[in-house]
Amino acid sequence: MSEQATPSANLPPEQEPSTDFVVRLGVAQRAGGLVVPVLTAVLAFLAGGIVVAATGHNPLTAYRGIWDGAGFNWIFHIPWNTNTVNLDAFNLSQTLLTTTTLILVGLAVAFPFRCGLFNIGGQGQYLVGLIVANWVGVSFASWPTLPHVLLGIGAAAFAGAAWAGIAGFLKAATGAHEVISTIMLNWIAIWGGQYLFGQGGPLQNTYNPAAPESGTVVQSAHIPVFWGNPVLQGLDYGIFVAIAALVVFWLILNRTTLGYEVRAVGFNPEAAAYGGINVRRKYIQAMAISGAFAGLAGALDMLGYLFQFGVLDVQASQIGFLGIAVALLGRNTAVGTGIAAFLFGGLLYGTTRGLNPSVFDPSLAGNLTSMIQGLIVLFVGADVFVLYIWNSRRKLRPRRRAEAAAA
Amino acid sequence: MTNHAQPLQETHWAFQPKAIAVAGSILGLVAFWSALPPFTVRSPLVPILIGVLAIAAGLWAVTRGTRRLGWGAIASGVIGLGLGLLATRSSSGNLHVVFAADLVAQVFVFATPLTFGALGGMVSERSGVVNVGLEGMMLMGAFWGVYGADKGGTWVVGILAALAGGGLFALLHAYWSIHLRANQIVSGMAINFLALGVTGYFFEQLYGNQNIPSGVSTVPNVAIPGIDHMAYLGPAIGDLNLLIWVGVAFVPLSYFVLFKTPIGLRVRACGEHPRAADTVGINVYAVRYAAVVVSGMLAALGGAFLSIGFGGGSFTENMTEGRGFIALAAMIFGNWRPFGAWGAALLFGFSTALAYRLPVYSSSAATLFQVLPYVLTLIAVAGVIGRSVPPAADGQPYVKQ
Amino acid sequence: MADESGSVLELQGITKRYPGIVADDHVDFDLRRGEVHALLGENGAGKSTLMNILYGLTKPDEGEILVGGKHVSFSSAKDAIESGIGMVHQHFMLIPVMTVAENIVLGVEPVRDGVLLDERGAEERVRELSQQFGLAVDPTALVSSITVGQQQRVEILKALYRGAEILILDEPTAVLTPQEAGELFAIVRSLQADGKSIIFITHKLNEVLEIADRITVLRRGKRIDTVSRQGATEEGLARMMVGREVLLRVDKAPASPTDVALDVKDLEVVDERDLEKVRGVSFSVRRGEIVAIAGVDGNGQTELVEAITGLRRIASGTVAVGGRAFEGHVTPRMMIDAGIGHIPEDRHRRGLVLEFNLAENIALHDYDKPPDSKRGWLYPARLVQRAARLIKEFDIRGGGPLTLARALSGGNQQKVVVAREVARNPVVLIAAQPTRGLDVGAIEYVHRRLVAERDAGRAILLVSLELDEVLSLADRILVMYEGRIVGEHAAGAGEEEIGLEMLGGRKEAA
Repeated sequence: MSEQATPSANLPPEQEPSTDFVVRLGVAQRAGGLVVPVLTAVLAFLAGGIVVAATGHNPLTAYRGIWDGAGFNWIFHIPWNTNTVNLDAFNLSQTLLTTTTLILVGLAVAFPFRCGLFNIGGQGQYLVGLIVANWVGVSFASWPTLPHVLLGIGAAAFAGAAWAGIAGFLKAATGAHEVISTIMLNWIAIWGGQYLFGQGGPLQNTYNPAAPESGTVVQSAHIPVFWGNPVLQGLDYGIFVAIAALVVFWLILNRTTLGYEVRAVGFNPEAAAYGGINVRRKYIQAMAISGAFAGLAGALDMLGYLFQFGVLDVQASQIGFLGIAVALLGRNTAVGTGIAAFLFGGLLYGTTRGLNPSVFDPSLAGNLTSMIQGLIVLFVGADVFVLYIWNSRRKLRPRRRAEAAAA
Repeated sequence: MTNHAQPLQETHWAFQPKAIAVAGSILGLVAFWSALPPFTVRSPLVPILIGVLAIAAGLWAVTRGTRRLGWGAIASGVIGLGLGLLATRSSSGNLHVVFAADLVAQVFVFATPLTFGALGGMVSERSGVVNVGLEGMMLMGAFWGVYGADKGGTWVVGILAALAGGGLFALLHAYWSIHLRANQIVSGMAINFLALGVTGYFFEQLYGNQNIPSGVSTVPNVAIPGIDHMAYLGPAIGDLNLLIWVGVAFVPLSYFVLFKTPIGLRVRACGEHPRAADTVGINVYAVRYAAVVVSGMLAALGGAFLSIGFGGGSFTENMTEGRGFIALAAMIFGNWRPFGAWGAALLFGFSTALAYRLPVYSSSAATLFQVLPYVLTLIAVAGVIGRSVPPAADGQPYVKQ
Repeated sequence: MADESGSVLELQGITKRYPGIVADDHVDFDLRRGEVHALLGENGAGKSTLMNILYGLTKPDEGEILVGGKHVSFSSAKDAIESGIGMVHQHFMLIPVMTVAENIVLGVEPVRDGVLLDERGAEERVRELSQQFGLAVDPTALVSSITVGQQQRVEILKALYRGAEILILDEPTAVLTPQEAGELFAIVRSLQADGKSIIFITHKLNEVLEIADRITVLRRGKRIDTVSRQGATEEGLARMMVGREVLLRVDKAPASPTDVALDVKDLEVVDERDLEKVRGVSFSVRRGEIVAIAGVDGNGQTELVEAITGLRRIASGTVAVGGRAFEGHVTPRMMIDAGIGHIPEDRHRRGLVLEFNLAENIALHDYDKPPDSKRGWLYPARLVQRAARLIKEFDIRGGGPLTLARALSGGNQQKVVVAREVARNPVVLIAAQPTRGLDVGAIEYVHRRLVAERDAGRAILLVSLELDEVLSLADRILVMYEGRIVGEHAAGAGEEEIGLEMLGGRKEAA
């Protein structure tokens, strides 16, 4: 059967496929495979390296210092230097700690993206989870470890879900754009944290009224450490929770009716509505699930290694925003988010506490991370478009003739 | 909404419902202020009377169709009345501490970066391009402003450097949004991250941990002769920074350009219905590029105020601390109009200024007032106080046929 | 060729090709000063393309344009405007939140004191033009607050403000009420009296005979003839428009319909602007027959289908399916559960999720029930199984269950939609423009399928803009014009008569 052009093309032309960002990312996802994200990251690092070089530093030593600082060398045993093996192992454990958080805040951005929603509120949802986990961890002191930790994690996830759910509800009920509402909720959470942990605040530590910080999570609520020395902040079981979250993310999207609905709404809300899906309810559910991921991140951090949080920490925390770069680089998929989280985890730790200051100045390195973060997000914004055009061109071939038809 | 077809009017503009509503809103403010320094009226009758007048004005306007402004006047009257009453019961000493004359000056100080940012955001979005990168552009202005003032010797060079820095990032955002048709929010957020990194990096690189040297040329204050020695007005507005006045001047200026000139008409057309603009021969791409770059420059001015205006020639990493987002909120709260955005900026500035003084009463109240701008914006986008309507084509990339 | 004295515009041999189709085939057209020249043709005849070329929005592949005897070449709408050509599009290019005057002067704004927008001056000039041409409209009113008829006048004023001497009106009455149409004709006559020359694009015969001086008929990209209004009849014009073609006739046995499956009574439906689109339509469809609704696009068929399938509120009247009656607010879910299958007219917007694979698309209505899922847990393998079965049964080519819908050709995509709907065993199958944008082979497939379903006892409602399709498939034909059923015919009815009714005409009683 030939697929030639038809005299019936005198009917009105079909609609062009939507240029919506989610659709484009979906196209990119399937088409680009691994190559495009890798290329994006490489380009960003290259650009960062140019800035470093232009300001009189050696980018290679800088990146090498970050690599070592992240502990990546431990994996590859390059160099296998017994002097530093323990340090490298420690660095890697810290990188994995950061990865834990990033996986979850990344999922918090990736999940709603699949539903066509842009969640910038990961930071606020993370803080809410962190605050609630702190409260649970400080109270209920007599509980044994497992129930105590589970309660903390559960309450935090629920709190994060509720916080994000506000934005989802506003979108469903009033059409309020989730970008604005989540940004506002971020700041409300930040100020809320400052109030709660600040002087005279209800969650402030009880032993030193002059110090604007929270109470300390009791020992029995610490998530056990399995790699490294707990006294020196080792890697706790939280990483497995994060990996489990990746699996849960994948399962929800691909093995549940909810996931089917979320994906349908993300790709084509009209067809989804026609199939009987309640689009508004999907918005609320997607935001709630995303908030749960972010809240969980806060809980794992608080009960895993932070144990205490001060007003200054609340102000300085930026990790929720890194979730945006993680999710975008990982193309909003489970595997992608996991890998991107590991990359950024290494970058984040390797440029701050892990970096040997004599190799490269950590404050320069920290800003380098922000730049790379910005560049990656920037490039993802553009290459998605480029990919989309490349793909649509091939598929649009028989439809161009319909242009003529509106006579 | 507020605009509707008016038959040929013989009544004076001062008696039209819109003007009455605006007057009512101001009266509400006066109701509150009457109980504060410098008037510090102690009798509760005064705020009540003025508040009632404000509510009446609002009702009058609402019944004649000016719904949004009219309800605003009613709200202003109610709140002003209530707060005024509260103030008459508060101790006079406390009032003088919190509401001292320099509170007005502080309101302007906090509101100025917001004003610049909100006006910038407005210009961009009126042309159809969403700009959430205001925070980043403001930060660029802050850093390059102080750097320019330092290396160039005078604050004028600083201002130019700030404009260049903000404009450059705005150009990037414009290219991404217009030519590459990337998602404008993603692009804006990328700008924010990038700006954070770039300014922090170069700050460390160029100044190390010594900080900006003292004595960097800063934008001067403007002492208004005569006023600056008066008891209340003096500390209030007698000696404000030049950039504050520039910001205030930009409000009517932007109104004028946007609503009274052909250029403004074309910009708005590109934001409402780019295809219609295209068919009458307007170059939508060029207009949008220009608008976005202007918005970046305005935001940068706001940042420059932070570093070499009020900041006295200093810089810290992430100096803007979210002001760019509050400016965005002010723009939305002000319904994408210059005076609305300015009013919102003043309101948010007032809230923040109050927050710094309220520890006199209670520190939790202070936090409440810091949060107030965000809560108000949340309510605004939810459409509880009337729809917040952006330009119709805002955020949608335009594809020329 | 002798230059027609008084000819303000000439199109000679205009040809425009798109991949696979010739939209305009050596079309000649000329316009005399002060005349109203109607351009008549069905959907797809080539009218809009020709006018887009004239207005500078597209460039012709061959042919010449002469304005006032001089050869011109347009690279944009601005060039055409400068040559004195103005166009009023079918879909208005107006900015709702701005005033009438602002919309009119946009791009050529009057300026005073060097930099200020001269609002008063603009309003004055608009009032002058209004007076001159009888186009009553308030220059200070917001476009969002005036009626559609008034908005159209603003569009006309836009052209006149820029000095247009030649006006192109593209299907101007498509969005107007009958009274507004009458007002429009008065305006046209007034413009004519002022020496303007007007090209009036339409598919409605009654209008043409009322307003035009000369009539040019296009069919499938070719100019059939140009006649003067004297002596033209509706039948004659309809014959030229519809023509005698070799039709793709499907072999089918006569129908044997049984009981009523779909019963529509006094249905009224309004659109977003509260305009009545369906004005009291009643009909029924039995099992085992194909009822086709013929008509030109925009006469209410879309809204009719939307109401029946639950996508639009029923303003008044009832829709009864399989014994259950529905009225008022309906949802797609309700109608689907009642037994309606729907092949939507826009498969990309409503029919398919292009980014889903075929298995997921086929499951669009059933994904939340066993066997596809149980209590929220999805079993993709079962979706794939069912899809594989349907792919074979319906001969869907271009991929398997895991192929993305976007990767299939239009015809195969439509097969996926058909397969999904038919496999659910609906009582009534509604096919809206089912062969739009498809190639010959795919069209043939869809037609054969519809007949097969009819023979299997399903009730089928076909809505189509293609008269050929209607004639070849239908057992009964209903003609819809301006929201009403204006004619009912059995299979084998004369196409001229039907074509006439579609265009608003009526065969004179013998």
